[in-house]
Formats: sequence, C-alpha cells, structure tokens
Amino acid sequence: MKLSIILAFITLLIGIYGLIISKNIIKSIICFNISQGAVVLLFLTFSKEYPSSIPIISENSSNMVDPLPQALMLTTIVIGAAITALALMLSIKIFHYYGTLDWKEFIERNG
Amino acid sequence: MKIIYLLEILLIIFLIFIIISKNNLKLIVFFSASSLVSASIYLFLDSPDLALAEVAIGSAIIPLIFIIAISKQRKFLVINNTAFDNERIEYCIYDILKEFTDLYNLKLEIQDSEYDELYGIFRSKNVDLVIEKKKDKYILKGKKTSILMNKLEDMTKGKKDIKVVKVIEGETYD
Repeated sequence: MKLSIILAFITLLIGIYGLIISKNIIKSIICFNISQGAVVLLFLTFSKEYPSSIPIISENSSNMVDPLPQALMLTTIVIGAAITALALMLSIKIFHYYGTLDWKEFIERNG
Repeated sequence: MKIIYLLEILLIIFLIFIIISKNNLKLIVFFSASSLVSASIYLFLDSPDLALAEVAIGSAIIPLIFIIAISKQRKFLVINNTAFDNERIEYCIYDILKEFTDLYNLKLEIQDSEYDELYGIFRSKNVDLVIEKKKDKYILKGKKTSILMNKLEDMTKGKKDIKVVKVIEGETYD
C-alpha cells in the first residue's frame, strides 16, 4: 500500500522532470500526458483500502471501493485527450511559422 | 497486491525509455505501451471503467493523433507561381528544393497556383514557399520568421539565377 503510493509518486516526478528537460515540443506534450496519468494513479491509490471489491452492488458487496474518485478521473482522461489534440494543433502552426520545433532555438531567435 | 508493484515498476521502466529516447516515433510507441500497462494497473485497483477508457483513449486515440500531427508537420508546401508548369520547372530549381528538403527530413510538395489573388496566402494556408520568375531570375519567397529560410539562403548563395526574399507575414504579399 505504502510502496504503491511511493511508486505512483515517482511516476509523477518522472513526468515533471521530462517536462523540464525536454527540448522538443512533441516530447513536452508526451511528458504532460505522463504526469496526468500519474495523477490518476495517485487518486486511485489513495482511495483504495485493502481488501475491497469493485463498486457494483450485489449480495455480498460489503466493502466496495469509493466510486467518486473513479468518476472524477474518467473526466480527467477524456479532457486530457482533448488538450493533447489542441496542443498538437498549435505545434503544427509553430512549425510552419518558425521552421523548427526546438524550444531553445525559437526563444533565442524571437526573444 | 503484489502484482501491482511489479506493474508499477514496469511502468516506470517504460517512462524512463520515453525520457531517454530521441526519435519521435519511438517515443509514441513507448507511450502507447506505457498506457497499456497503466490500464492494467487501474484494473487491479478495482476500477474497470477507467481501464476501459484508458485502453481506448490512451493507447489508441492519442498515438493516432500524434502520428497525424507529425505527418502534417513534415510537409513542405511550395506554390509554383511561374508561367511554367511543374515539368518545366523541374530542371532548374527542383533539384535544389529536393536536396534542401532531404537534408531537413521534410516532404516536398509542389502545387500550381490556382489563386488569382496571392495576398495573405502565408497566413491562410500552410504555404512555406512561393516561386516566381522575373527576367531570367527565379525568386523564392518565404516567411521571415522561419529559420528554414535562413538555411535556404545559405544553400543558394553561389547561384546567380536564384534569389531568396523573406516576407513579413501579414503585411503585404509583394
């Protein structure tokens, strides 16, 4: 349980580290997706208590897991896909305008 | 309970592969694999609805959008505004453009101009270059903000019948 939280937190840190060091815009967008998936993992890990069952009501559903974080995280996954599509559209525009996809090059060039 | 630890360690290994890889297409394949692993983690955390959504969206739709976006970025669209058609222009200027686009890993595409008014063409379409001809001299017009135009200018420095003009976008066409 505790080890699971630590591993999910390491996933979040890897996403943020990639967002900081990456020079390519495509890689930045992928690292943004990674950290979003890590947040989903953290929510689910916090809300689960062992032993538990899936949130479907039946005769012997005594200790089922809390379904509210799952509903929230379903919204997060769908909105993440929409944000990814928007960011990729902006990256196409940036490539045709500046001629490069490197953060460093066009920041040096355009202030 | 133990299998979740193994799956999370596998997920971290895939993420480290993403961080250290340089190629864009490899990055997308590793991202697809890592989201499959995270979908199975969600299944073991008692949330099968999230696993279903993650398999559909994270490992299929998002890599598809990435691949479409990369293939749109690689297109170098050239508008041919001379009186000649594409076969005639081939001999003098096609080789230079082909060499240039191969050097920067782009995909060359030449179109005949079908627009009477070329004003604002750089803004409305994703046009990178316009070819014109004036008195035995070919003029290549491109955006001033693009770094690729500087490199094209360096490449055609020795040739006398080719001139590169950089246009400020939105101001005027000519």
